[in-house]
Amino acid sequence: MTESIINHVAGTPPAPGHRISFVRLDGTETLDLPDLYARAGRLALELRRRYGIGPGDRIGILGANALEWVLLDLAALRLKVVTAGFEPGKFQADGALLARYDLTLLCTDQDCPPTQGVLSFREIRRLADLAEPDPGEPLPPVAYAPGDATTLKFTSGSTGPPKGLAATVGSIDSSLRAVQEMFAHGPGDDLFVFLPLSLLQQRYWIYSALRYGHDVTVSTYEAAFAALAAARPTVVMGVPAFYETAKKHIEARVRSNGNGANGTGANGYGANGAADGHAAEARRLFGDRIRYLWTGSAPAGATMLRFFTAAGLPIYEGYGLNETCIVSKNHPGAHREGSVGRVLPGKEVLLDENGVVSVRSDYPVNVRYEYAAPGESERVFGPGGIVRTGDVGHIDEDGFLYIRGRADDVIVLDNGKKVIVRPIEEHMKTSPAIEECVVFCPAQTHLVAVVSPPREPADEPAIAAQLARTNAAFGRDEQIKKIVVAEPRLSIENGLLTSQYKPRRQRIFELYRPEIQDNRRGIHAR
Amino acid sequence: MHADLEAVLRRNLAQVLDPGVAPGDLDPDRDMVDEYGLTSINKVLFLTSACTDTGISLSNFTEHDLARMRTLRDVTDVLARHAGAEVSPAGGEVHRAGPEAVR
Repeated sequence: MTESIINHVAGTPPAPGHRISFVRLDGTETLDLPDLYARAGRLALELRRRYGIGPGDRIGILGANALEWVLLDLAALRLKVVTAGFEPGKFQADGALLARYDLTLLCTDQDCPPTQGVLSFREIRRLADLAEPDPGEPLPPVAYAPGDATTLKFTSGSTGPPKGLAATVGSIDSSLRAVQEMFAHGPGDDLFVFLPLSLLQQRYWIYSALRYGHDVTVSTYEAAFAALAAARPTVVMGVPAFYETAKKHIEARVRSNGNGANGTGANGYGANGAADGHAAEARRLFGDRIRYLWTGSAPAGATMLRFFTAAGLPIYEGYGLNETCIVSKNHPGAHREGSVGRVLPGKEVLLDENGVVSVRSDYPVNVRYEYAAPGESERVFGPGGIVRTGDVGHIDEDGFLYIRGRADDVIVLDNGKKVIVRPIEEHMKTSPAIEECVVFCPAQTHLVAVVSPPREPADEPAIAAQLARTNAAFGRDEQIKKIVVAEPRLSIENGLLTSQYKPRRQRIFELYRPEIQDNRRGIHAR
Repeated sequence: MHADLEAVLRRNLAQVLDPGVAPGDLDPDRDMVDEYGLTSINKVLFLTSACTDTGISLSNFTEHDLARMRTLRDVTDVLARHAGAEVSPAGGEVHRAGPEAVR
């Protein structure tokens, strides 16, 4: 039987020779991996001694990427305690959060009133740094079974607070093992992580460093671009919006240096003009050691993917959901443009007659949600943990998976947060002043709705009132910032509705693009 | 000095906005996120590039400082206070800050 990676990470001190760095705007802190492991062990002992934390408990972690986050995560693995990673900005550190998710402790970098069960990151740091830890019993060896859960992930619900999804050791092990087979992370590597550690996959790269022996750099979101060139990573773990931003920046830098599309090598970029410029500026931004760029979580544009590969930074897109973990991935040994790669060992993609994708896993992430509305688990999870993704795709003759679209319309913001727009649209349509509503996310940071009234002229005060009601009913990431009133109304005749009266999203977006993107126009949320 | 700084900031902000706005047309008092549609990652890139171009180290600031910069005028005022100060590379020092233990 193959050894569990999580059991290895929890129970085996890493070999010396590799380090983890934590970058903030105002400084960097670097530890050798054996030191990280030792500090996590001391923290585990103190959490057990002072707070009685042990197997079966659940610790919440709410904070920006930091050493304390990683220490807590590793200490929890050593104690067989389940973590719940809360994304900063989305949750508030208070007693209500402790109660809502059945937490024994909540550890945070937020300022909050003294609350029983809430520990600051500063206190976590102090406990991990104690010179003389718990004199009592050493930590017993831990052994996880494939079905044991180590962490509770959170995923957007159709309404109300985020629902939980406990991730099993078997699913984490199988994903990490598959990634290692594809990318062979090893001694020369430094993996760069800047997306929130509350996303389990971002912690994978720390587990990978501890198991396979390589460096890892963890940055705050805000320090990411500043840290990249200085850290000189070999791999960057990003999402499409991040790379799109980087591409635009690189192109602007080349233009401002006088090398346009037909540049001829001025300004030291080389004989190939703009192409050399893109390569030079990409290295300036990402550092000069990039082996590859990782992207996932949302569909990536073909132009962006080609841009980075042409600039000498190969980028590999994959496919997966919170509920499935990584399903497929392009990688150096097998990649095909337009596809999201071949399906990983241990995963099986099942396509129905309409091409809707379901995923079966040898080791499912889980078979149900926690803290979810009745019926939510049944809507997504089938027998044996088969996940109905709602995506539409096909597999070519060589086994590459292509995702053509989303049966459910999901928007992924530039920070990786997912917003399901259909419930928001349905809520808007409860107003008699709104016949149709289509939500877009033009800048990947906020939502804009195109609203079609049942008659013209539109009743704008009633639409604005409904906007306020809908925003009050949804979460922070689900707020509509602006409404564009469709003039003329959406209709089958003007081609903006299908014969089944469904909105044609792309056509609507193209038609109203100026109004959607111009923040000075439209009805704004108050 | 201040005018030069503002010109660099205007150029860098205009570069990341979509749809684009000419540097000279930017209103320094408009909210960069809510009114100009600046995404969180673009804000990070704008400030990183602006600091690089002005020689002001990002290590002068914290993540909270960045969150508080909501308008071009906010950015100009804050960076102006550091213009001409000694530049130190990001990541060069260890500094820890955080809330007190609250249990």
